[in-house]
Amino acid sequence: MNESEKREKQEFLIKFSKSGSIAAFRKLCSKVLKKSRCEFLDAEYRPIKSSSECNHLKLGKNLAKLKFSPSREYMIFKCSCNKICLSFPIIQGSSVYGHVLFIHLDREPKKTAIDATKICMDLALKEFQKEQELNKLYETIRPRAIALSTIHTIHRLLSSTLNMDELIERIARLTLQVMRSRYCSIMLLDESKKYLIPKAVISLDKEILKVSPQYKKIRLGVKLEGRVARTCKAVLSRNSVCVPLVEEDIIGVISARDKTNDEPFDKFELEILITLAEQAVIAVKNAQMYEEQEKMAYASIKTLAALLDAKSPNTFTHSDKFVQMVLAIAEEMKLSREDIVNLHYSALLPDTGKFSIPDEILKKPGILSSGEYDIIKKQHLESLKIIEHLEFLKPAMPIIRHHHEKYDGTGYPSGLKGSQIPIGARVMAVANAFEAMISVRPYKGRKISVSQAIKEIEKNKGTQFDPEAVEAFIKVAKKPEFENILGASA
Amino acid sequence: MKKIKNLFKNEASRKILLFFNENPNCIDTAKGISLWIGWDINIIQKALNQLVKEGIITSHQTASTAAYAYTNNKEIVKKIEKWIKNMV
Repeated sequence: MNESEKREKQEFLIKFSKSGSIAAFRKLCSKVLKKSRCEFLDAEYRPIKSSSECNHLKLGKNLAKLKFSPSREYMIFKCSCNKICLSFPIIQGSSVYGHVLFIHLDREPKKTAIDATKICMDLALKEFQKEQELNKLYETIRPRAIALSTIHTIHRLLSSTLNMDELIERIARLTLQVMRSRYCSIMLLDESKKYLIPKAVISLDKEILKVSPQYKKIRLGVKLEGRVARTCKAVLSRNSVCVPLVEEDIIGVISARDKTNDEPFDKFELEILITLAEQAVIAVKNAQMYEEQEKMAYASIKTLAALLDAKSPNTFTHSDKFVQMVLAIAEEMKLSREDIVNLHYSALLPDTGKFSIPDEILKKPGILSSGEYDIIKKQHLESLKIIEHLEFLKPAMPIIRHHHEKYDGTGYPSGLKGSQIPIGARVMAVANAFEAMISVRPYKGRKISVSQAIKEIEKNKGTQFDPEAVEAFIKVAKKPEFENILGASA
Repeated sequence: MKKIKNLFKNEASRKILLFFNENPNCIDTAKGISLWIGWDINIIQKALNQLVKEGIITSHQTASTAAYAYTNNKEIVKKIEKWIKNMV
């Protein structure tokens, strides 16, 4: 028997002697083998480390002296103080791990008592084996299951955004958390595929999240990140772990440095980071595709706006200041990103509804007659049919359709009131009226000052306009950036 | 932050701290954590909210998911470790 086998058996015996099943066994045996004491010996009849000190354990030596060979059967003998002893072998598989020894017996036990003790012993051993298996499962499977659950949670957190900046920041934060590191960086390959560009750098000490100029791009093959990107192989060292972000091709690297408890990174953590990187790469690819789609949609809308502008300048589209104002109000109201994107699209094509309105009405100076106003209301919905087939504009259509509604229900085309009007349309109505008041229009002739226009908007709060949108507009108007919005190209 | 002693008085908080001390890399939802600990989700959620307020648990929120992880603050982690050792 080599040293490791000896150690393994010794550990087994120590655990067995302390287990819950042996406590029950001791109780049972104290009834069957009256006044006895139970001790544990190793295969060579030496007391195990955890056994209590007892002079009678010297009998182990005596036993060895008697040259008993490790027996697979029980034995009855007398110890050095001439008392009866009963020993049972502890058998695991084919080998004897040790012995349970009953000492201080008054007389030789009967065969029935020995058999009962043997049954109890076998039961205790089986129970202990079950305990051991459960412990092993707890020690090996549970951490893996927890890690798997962590990865699943990370997947949920990452797949809930398609905004690239938000996503990259989230990946960095989660990496820092999972790796228990002080530093994490995410770098993506540039278009030339020769350099890694830092996209998020987060340090626990400084909490840097925005990529500052101090974080320079890295050439492929240079530094740890560059080498990982070139070889596409993860690197694990004492203080750092770096993993490539690979889909079909490499798109970047993710690295973590310096554990918070100053311990080295291990293989288990490398495995976790590799799995996290797999999740991250899918999320990054999705966000990249979404960005591309957004760009294409934006370009299509701009083209459409340019076509409409070519037909009649400033009739169907509004100025840049209008678009910026709409977005500023939406940001102030903390609308969701999706609402803001739809509002942006709508603000680029707000008056497509005027497309089939005759020019003599559109460009008429002065107040419209009720008949002309009826034509506008009717043609507004008709005109919108030219853009309703554009799939990416569908979520924006209610905003374009209803931005002439009034909060009190007196607007058009549907006479919606209050919260029946889409939130984007309520925002656009405020910006639309403000822009109209501060601009010269053919049908209006004169414009009013910015402060007068703001007062006018405030005056109509709750009647023409949504009070919440007006409050947000006033807050925007008080900001220094408002001057820049007003200065934007007409 | 409340004294760690006070946090350990609450059994749910104590269970959560023991769990994260044993699994510091874990990020999970309240439901997941309650499953690992074997406690009612409502009690665990309440204790998690309190521990987030105390800065011992970090919350990662999105519109649809709230996940919880152990603090990265070395000093707090050390204090908790010390408490757990003394408990044993």
